[in-house]
Amino acid sequence: MIVANTLFTRLVRNSPYLLIALLVVPVLGGLLGVLLPAFGWFPALGANEFGLFGFVQLFNTPGIERMVLLSFGTSLISTLLAFVITVLILASYFNSPWLKRIQRLLGPILVIPHAAAAIAIGFLITPSGFLSRLISPWLTGWDIPPDWLFPHDPYGLSIILGLTLKELPFLLLIALGVLAQPEIGKTLKAQHKVASSLGYCPMTGFFKVILPSLYGYMRLPILAVLAYSSASVEIPLILGSNTPPTLAVAIMQWFNDVDLSLRIKASSGAILQILITLSLLGSWCLLELLVKKCSTSFLVNGEREYGGMLIQRVTHLITTVMLSVIGLALVAMVLWSFAGFWSFPDLLPQQLVTLHWSSALLQMQTPLFNTLVIAISTTLIAIALTLFVLEAEQQNTKTISAISGFIIYLPLLIPSIAFLFGLVWLFEQVNSQHAYINVVFSHLLFVLPYVFLSLANSYRRLDPRFSTVAASLGVQPSKIFWQLKLPLLLSPILIASALGLAISFSQYLPTLLSGAGRINTITTEAVTLANGASRRTSAVYALMQMLLPALFFILAWAAPKLFFRNRG
Amino acid sequence: MKSQSMSSLKIDNLQLSQQGKLLLSLNEEVKGGEVLTIMGPSGSGKSTLLNWLVGMLPSDFYANGELYLNQQIITNTASHLRNIGLLYQDPLLFPHLTVEGNIAFAMPKGDKKTRKDEISEALNQVGLAGMEKRCPQNLSGGQQARVALLRVLLSKPKAILLDEPFSKLDSQLRQETRQLVFEQIQRYSLPAVMVTHDESDAIAAQGKVITLDALPLNQAAS
Ligand SMILES: Nc1ncnc2c1ncn2[C@@H]1O[C@H](COP(=O)(O)OP(=O)(O)OP(=O)(O)O)[C@@H](O)[C@H]1O
Ligand SMILES: [Mg+2]
Repeated sequence: MIVANTLFTRLVRNSPYLLIALLVVPVLGGLLGVLLPAFGWFPALGANEFGLFGFVQLFNTPGIERMVLLSFGTSLISTLLAFVITVLILASYFNSPWLKRIQRLLGPILVIPHAAAAIAIGFLITPSGFLSRLISPWLTGWDIPPDWLFPHDPYGLSIILGLTLKELPFLLLIALGVLAQPEIGKTLKAQHKVASSLGYCPMTGFFKVILPSLYGYMRLPILAVLAYSSASVEIPLILGSNTPPTLAVAIMQWFNDVDLSLRIKASSGAILQILITLSLLGSWCLLELLVKKCSTSFLVNGEREYGGMLIQRVTHLITTVMLSVIGLALVAMVLWSFAGFWSFPDLLPQQLVTLHWSSALLQMQTPLFNTLVIAISTTLIAIALTLFVLEAEQQNTKTISAISGFIIYLPLLIPSIAFLFGLVWLFEQVNSQHAYINVVFSHLLFVLPYVFLSLANSYRRLDPRFSTVAASLGVQPSKIFWQLKLPLLLSPILIASALGLAISFSQYLPTLLSGAGRINTITTEAVTLANGASRRTSAVYALMQMLLPALFFILAWAAPKLFFRNRG
Repeated sequence: MKSQSMSSLKIDNLQLSQQGKLLLSLNEEVKGGEVLTIMGPSGSGKSTLLNWLVGMLPSDFYANGELYLNQQIITNTASHLRNIGLLYQDPLLFPHLTVEGNIAFAMPKGDKKTRKDEISEALNQVGLAGMEKRCPQNLSGGQQARVALLRVLLSKPKAILLDEPFSKLDSQLRQETRQLVFEQIQRYSLPAVMVTHDESDAIAAQGKVITLDALPLNQAAS
């Protein structure tokens, strides 16, 4: 397509370079900013000789093996669990209306920030939490809170619970998204039908026919989940033990220590973190190969029924337990946010008060303001840039190259703890003192990929003949963009904006680090309060964390309906 | 063969309706080796009839009547226990399995070696000798159709249903494949029900032809 040369088209044409630069420079710069100190080069401390003493220090840290093991184990087990449960749910409810219902119940959990989810689960499983109240004293005879270790158990079980519950909805929605694609879904369903007519019970048919094909489409998202969970900070910080914590949490503590000399050890730790993440991805791929190898003869052995009924019952049980855990955690949190006096085995508080809400809302003003300002600026930039890049794509009539497509997801694949510290160092080098701008800049790294992912499909599906017709009528490209495409895409743009806001709301580490601890948002406050004294205030903050994104999603969903109804 | 005299698929007073309005009614018996051909305009309910026969009627529809396979009532039997094979216009081979794997998937359990030999022989018979280890995606349309046919036949069904099985093949291939399918149906003495839009299919089947009516327009509209 030959495109007129105007300011608008020049802007559009150059936008992909801006996008790539905005993502690559901070990530690679950040990695460099960690790599140098990791090998001993840290001029601020007078250390400017390369060496391995950072690593020596790191491996001499008491409990370092446990930290590594915790990071590795919790993320591998939780991802495995989330995957297995996803598959069981799909297999058991493949042709049942329950699949849609479960999807609708789990969907909203996706936008609950990790910190809020962790806080909610904590409320459920602490000794004086909702769970032990539910079974006391009638079943257990407990009059005082039991002496159990949850949360903060040294084995990372609470972390695994938290991670699994967060990963499961994501994997399930990915799988359902694949099945909803007209071509793939229809073929898979027809193949399942063939298996059924060949005498396979529905469950075995799913495992032997659907799963091998479906898995191919789920592979990358699974690896992304694995990478993310191996280095995530919020859930281990809130639900994990501190003696020792996971490696990612430990790195964060070393970086934030007043003792600057710990920075070198922390940087070496960040490198180790990357290695752990890589080895996790490698282990997963090995596991995959092994399963593939072992299952070839199983697939074609002609066995048509493997205790499908039993598996189905187990799945019913797991699904019920999981949905109850989520439901109870939410109820517990709401109750705590209104609780007056609430003595132990009582299931409900003696009195309900609104005091915690009113005082928290007063305290909350600055963090709330910061949260909104940062999220809105980040999202606006992300949406504008994404739209320009997608428009550039249409004007060049080809999609962006595979490399650029990959780069967009770079910040999601590389453990953020590994490059964010380097990024902070980079900010210091260019003397960027403006905390707000730094925070927006770092949020952009995580908001952009999601906004792009969310908008790209709708934009690419837009019928190109609209613009051809308009162009043939002599309409300027900029006018086509502003007055034709954007109104047509109103709904997807609003949804992508809500998503962008939700992602920004939920950021903990980037806010904490880029803001140099000076910028408080709802999320950073919620995490700080989570292990603090007042469970009630913490409940209010965690609920606010859930309400904010929910509010914007509802707005994004309702606004086009109102808008178009007025037109008649 | 003893079963030859008994083999039959009987549709007893079937009435299929969607949201209270009658789609079709049918009363037929198909004997082993015979092909019952169903024709009719698009949307007249041909595929829906086959869905009922295999026990996968979408919840939108309501069926009244009984189905007998070899004198046994199977109206409420689960689809995977019916022993009724299905052949669609798309071969729907499983992409994660080889040609051999696709056929082995369908065969009853048994000794590995015996199954392997059986597959090789069957492939040989339909002109696909030595293609055991090929991926289904790398076969031509006609070859895929033949593998799909073998897959159904070697699963030892007691009846077979064909939903426009040849419509994606060009005319030369269509004739060959059709002949092969009908030969095999006779050889295994299977009752068969075939849905088609093509007159020549119906003639080649040499069996009874039933033409379903289009939904009366006023009824469809209401
Ligand atoms: N899953 C379904 N749910 C609801 N209605 C359906 C479903 N499948 C088909 N129908 C409707 O039932 C009627 C019969 O459809 P059917 O697929 O049986 O037609 P057909 O005779 O096979 O047509 P064609 O020759 O185009 O394949 C049509 O009105 C169709 O819209
Ligand atoms: Mg049809």
